[in-house]
Amino acid sequence: MTTTTPAAPLTRFAALRATAAAYPTEPYVVAVGTMVREMLLVGRADNHLYVLDSMGLPPAIGLGLCLGLDTSEHEKVVVVEGDGGMLMGMSTLATIGLLHPRQLLLIVLDNGVYAATGDQTTAAAAVDFCAAARSCGFASTWSVATEEALQAALAAARREPGPALLHVRITLENAPSTYFLPDPVELTLNFRRYLNGK
Amino acid sequence: MVSPETRSAALLAGLREIAPDYVFHLPSSTLKSLLTGLAELGITVHPLTREEEGIGIASGLALAGRKPVLVIQDNGLGNALTALTTFPQAYHIPIFLLVSQRGGLGEYNSMIHTFCERVEPILDAAGIRYFKLDARIPLEEWTPTVALAYQYMQTTHRPIAVLCNLMAGQ
Repeated sequence: MTTTTPAAPLTRFAALRATAAAYPTEPYVVAVGTMVREMLLVGRADNHLYVLDSMGLPPAIGLGLCLGLDTSEHEKVVVVEGDGGMLMGMSTLATIGLLHPRQLLLIVLDNGVYAATGDQTTAAAAVDFCAAARSCGFASTWSVATEEALQAALAAARREPGPALLHVRITLENAPSTYFLPDPVELTLNFRRYLNGK
Repeated sequence: MVSPETRSAALLAGLREIAPDYVFHLPSSTLKSLLTGLAELGITVHPLTREEEGIGIASGLALAGRKPVLVIQDNGLGNALTALTTFPQAYHIPIFLLVSQRGGLGEYNSMIHTFCERVEPILDAAGIRYFKLDARIPLEEWTPTVALAYQYMQTTHRPIAVLCNLMAGQ
């Protein structure tokens, strides 16, 4: 189901807060830039894999996690990507459609700009991400622009099989945040510990 | 002279020792018999749309404790380079790339030299460890080199590549 709402009162922070709260224990891949920085404002969590660079790669990383993890232990694998990153990794929609991981929920937060580099316009205005995903064989898609619709879509995504794409229109607002500059190896070790239940 | 098919069989024997649970590839004409051989071993080989996608998928699989292998041609390492260095190399995620090498003696394709002949200095500059199989390496070394390279990847917790020139160029 796809619903289109012109208004976009949701901020990135509010969207990240809602999605993190909906999936507090499932593997959750967080994309580069403002996404990682604001997710840390929402709250650092063991189930999050913070991708510090590698623009466009998170959907592929999520696909690999879906294929590799036992579905009985990890009911969902969540990826949050921006519109710019999604456009860069767009061809991965086809590979996801082909391999059809039922656990995958790919969330695309779309403000139409490259926020981390100064709000330069992306090509997202020309793209219907839900239609693109469906044409690649995704099982479910939703497009939302309000907190209520986001909550409803997150509830539906929990019930319905993937691969699923949830497109969330967000505002241009950036929450004040600082750089996150850890040693990436620490992020790997933390995420592995979480996956191994330790 | 050793045929490309014989060299492919030696690589396949090395892959059999690794026993990968997932193989993703972008095809190369020189890898055709290797890919057919994997299918005959009952190993499902999945297509990629781009090499960097393979880096992402293999990294996710490796984080989940699986044994993925990527089979690509060296031309595609250019696509993969940023993904390789910024994710598995930086995050210490071991992934294994079997890379068919083109260019050099015996190469017939005039288009392919530009990138392929520079792959080794590019990998050196990127800090990606690789092991090379070509006409200078005796055939009996090919299978153990693949298996040992996989062990090296596990020991170092880094992505590694085996560069194999099935056309035997050097």
